[in-house]
Amino acid sequence: MIRVRDYRDELAFSDLFDFIAPKIKSYYMQNNVSSEIAEELTQEVLSTVWTKSDKYESSKSAVSTWIYTIARNKRIDLLRKNKSFDIKEEDIREFLYENNQSDKIAQGENRDQVDKINEKLDSDQRKIIKMNFFENKSHKKIAEELEIPLGTVKSRIRHTLIKLQRLL
Amino acid sequence: MNGTLVKNRLIFDFASGSLGPAKSIFASTYLYLNSKAKSLNNTFEGILGDQLFSNENSEIKKIKYSDCISNKPSKNSFNSNESSPITKIVGPLNELDWKQIYRGFKEFSLKIEDEDEIKLIKMDPGISVPIHSHAGKEYILVLDGSFCDEYGKYNKGDIQINDQKIKHTPIACENEGCICLSITEKDAIFYGRYGSFLNLFTFIRSFFK
Repeated sequence: MIRVRDYRDELAFSDLFDFIAPKIKSYYMQNNVSSEIAEELTQEVLSTVWTKSDKYESSKSAVSTWIYTIARNKRIDLLRKNKSFDIKEEDIREFLYENNQSDKIAQGENRDQVDKINEKLDSDQRKIIKMNFFENKSHKKIAEELEIPLGTVKSRIRHTLIKLQRLL
Repeated sequence: MNGTLVKNRLIFDFASGSLGPAKSIFASTYLYLNSKAKSLNNTFEGILGDQLFSNENSEIKKIKYSDCISNKPSKNSFNSNESSPITKIVGPLNELDWKQIYRGFKEFSLKIEDEDEIKLIKMDPGISVPIHSHAGKEYILVLDGSFCDEYGKYNKGDIQINDQKIKHTPIACENEGCICLSITEKDAIFYGRYGSFLNLFTFIRSFFK
């Protein structure tokens, strides 16, 4: 990423593309976006990574986090299309990324926390977080996919959030 | 759910991108004003970023890396000055066309298509809102000044989330007044001396939204 940002290295970008584009496409498809649109959005994400790489600050966030936020912001704006809300949410969220000085100091701590949380959550809890917050699936859908009662999904989410809260 | 869990849930939902437009504006302004909330958001985005990097692969059929390379310089829609997300949307708060609801209490509604209602509230020093509760949840973020109610004092960057069980009487602090961003999932229910009048007013007003 640093080679992309500092040297506009196309070869490095091509490696990054090969690694991340299939994962971004999956992210969109997990979020109920069709394969075709998922690919269009993936192209938009990677184009943003290329054109706005100067905005990436390693002291503020990990590369994975930065690319995730770009992908997420494009998904939100896809959902907001044709709505009366005329300001792109992507712009507001980018503004938030660029205008927070406290990030720089806190980033090291955040990274430690992320590692600690990943270590302390069990596989069921990680799965619940992935399905609920990464794939944005409804409780009902999670219950269907995991073949467990709806009440169990709700209590698992609640317990996972309580555990997260203790770790934060 | 306890209060902290409800606040955290708002931040997690913001990080995952699942909030509606009104709550999303609310949360982005909250994160801008409150560094603790921002840090929590960053941590949660970090978790989601890790999930992206460890995500399964879907075969890319049409696009190539070279399709994503353009030498157009990046453009920013916003100038990076020190105004908050909410002022990016509505402009400077002191230039808004505030609507007086009663003496010392003004509102400015954001016209956003959403099931949640989002508005700005301006209270003069010492002005209170009659005791009320809510049919759905109410979210209040202090943008400027401070207010107090039965549960404590809320300063710039603090939020309060109330559900239908909570009845409260917010009062703007004596010396500075208060500007808040508020989201109501459903209209407030008023109690006390003017309760029935205010409920009727809310009911009639709902026809003109």
